Amino acid sequence: MPLLFAHLMQTGFGGFYDGIAHLFLTPSDLLLVLGLALLAGQQGPQGGRLLLTLLPLSWWIGLAVGQLWGLDLTLALLSTVLFTSVGVLVALSLRLSVQVLAFTVAGSGLLFGLINGFTMPSASSGLPLDVLGVVSAVALLSVLISAQVAATRSTSFCIAVRVAGSWIAAAGMMSLGLLLKA
Amino acid sequence: MRRVLLPLLMVAALLMPRLVSAHDLFPGFLELQATGASTYQVLWKLPLLQGQRLPIAPRFPDDCALQGAPFSRQEATALVYQAKLSCREPLEGRVISIDGLASAGTEVLLRVRPWQTEALQTLLIQPEQPEAVIPTASEADQQPGVWSYLRLGIEHILLGVDHLLLLLGLVLIVRDGWMLLKTVTAFTLANSITLSVSAVGIVQVPAAPLNAAIALSILFIGTEVVRFTRGQTSFTLRHPWVLACGFGLLHGFGYARGLAELGLPHHELLLALLLFNVGIEIGQDVFVVLVLALERAFRQLQIRWPVWVRRVPAWTIGCAGAYWTIETTVSLIKGGV
Repeated sequence: MPLLFAHLMQTGFGGFYDGIAHLFLTPSDLLLVLGLALLAGQQGPQGGRLLLTLLPLSWWIGLAVGQLWGLDLTLALLSTVLFTSVGVLVALSLRLSVQVLAFTVAGSGLLFGLINGFTMPSASSGLPLDVLGVVSAVALLSVLISAQVAATRSTSFCIAVRVAGSWIAAAGMMSLGLLLKA
Repeated sequence: MRRVLLPLLMVAALLMPRLVSAHDLFPGFLELQATGASTYQVLWKLPLLQGQRLPIAPRFPDDCALQGAPFSRQEATALVYQAKLSCREPLEGRVISIDGLASAGTEVLLRVRPWQTEALQTLLIQPEQPEAVIPTASEADQQPGVWSYLRLGIEHILLGVDHLLLLLGLVLIVRDGWMLLKTVTAFTLANSITLSVSAVGIVQVPAAPLNAAIALSILFIGTEVVRFTRGQTSFTLRHPWVLACGFGLLHGFGYARGLAELGLPHHELLLALLLFNVGIEIGQDVFVVLVLALERAFRQLQIRWPVWVRRVPAWTIGCAGAYWTIETTVSLIKGGV
């Protein structure tokens, strides 16, 4: 199992909180959501709204498909490349068209949801609370960060956002190096 | 679109409380008091969930055996067993496991008083690791012990959908920052008072009417949120801190009931009570901050919700409150006080 991926952990607070913890304790997922939230926020309120609509939805779809297939695919390289690229885009502070942003967000959500689906067994009965937890955490983090970035006009804050993007890219490049070496 | 979504949302709101039942703190409780070097008095509280026994049971080492038939009695939310346990060797340093814990999804609070010592050791056994090693006397100081009550407090509020819905309702009807501070403080102080007096046994409130009253408080706050979203006003909307104070007193009894089922360690009573209360306050504050942060983020993203979407929280709170009120009132009538 690659370095930056984790199975569903158990908090002892039940499935919903296990799902939330899964996002925060899986560095690759967390870096992607942070990167996408920063990127969407850089595009203004419209980018944030698009992210809030598309990312949780695509993540959920990917997760459901991943659970349905139940395969153990290794998509580490692809997902690492993806969040590294998002970090680079944030660092460059590029203005993206709505279509490109929507494609990036939906594609990322589907891919990472798919990977989550492989690691999380589907609930035999009742509500899939762990899935609900992951998707809620994705939505919450997306809306909180993208809103803050979209609303703040301060130059130093914009620079800080770009620096954060460069750190995400750097973390991705280090992971890529480790993956290729392994 | 609206004609389709509206009934769907109402059905979802009506089904929600059935799916996410108005929780309670349902940890099991196992106490082992040494009466000799390797003999113990066992107290086992098996939680009842909606009248059904949770399928969990303690498993002792193979060289241990229960002496005689265990004495049992039924309490409001638990079956209590008492028995004598005799082992060939002391239990210190050995493993006790809880069968069925992983599937039951609950926890067990384990308290051990070793032979010839007053030190009471407290451990929390969780579903992901349904066993614990009884600490030796030298290890006892390193155990989380009474700190387990902090976690139980946080857990009680985070899993308490009924308490969270009441908090959500209170946050939704308060618009002014100063009033919000007053409201949250009133709620905190009020529930701390009743939690304390109830947990130490000064006041005893029967479970069935208490549950019905808590459910009714959620239904009431739901109607107030609806009134608020319609732009109407009322005494409670003008003075929400009064409402928060009253409902805080009520919900404090609810918090205490879970704690009372566990029993508090007598020599650390105040500390355990304080930690449980702090845990509850941490959970409440995190939830309130989260709701406010979300509301602010939606404003920053210039999201304009349609009127019917803005009414969804009120419907959810109201429907859940109505469902639980009917359910708990029926239980009250059936079972008596």
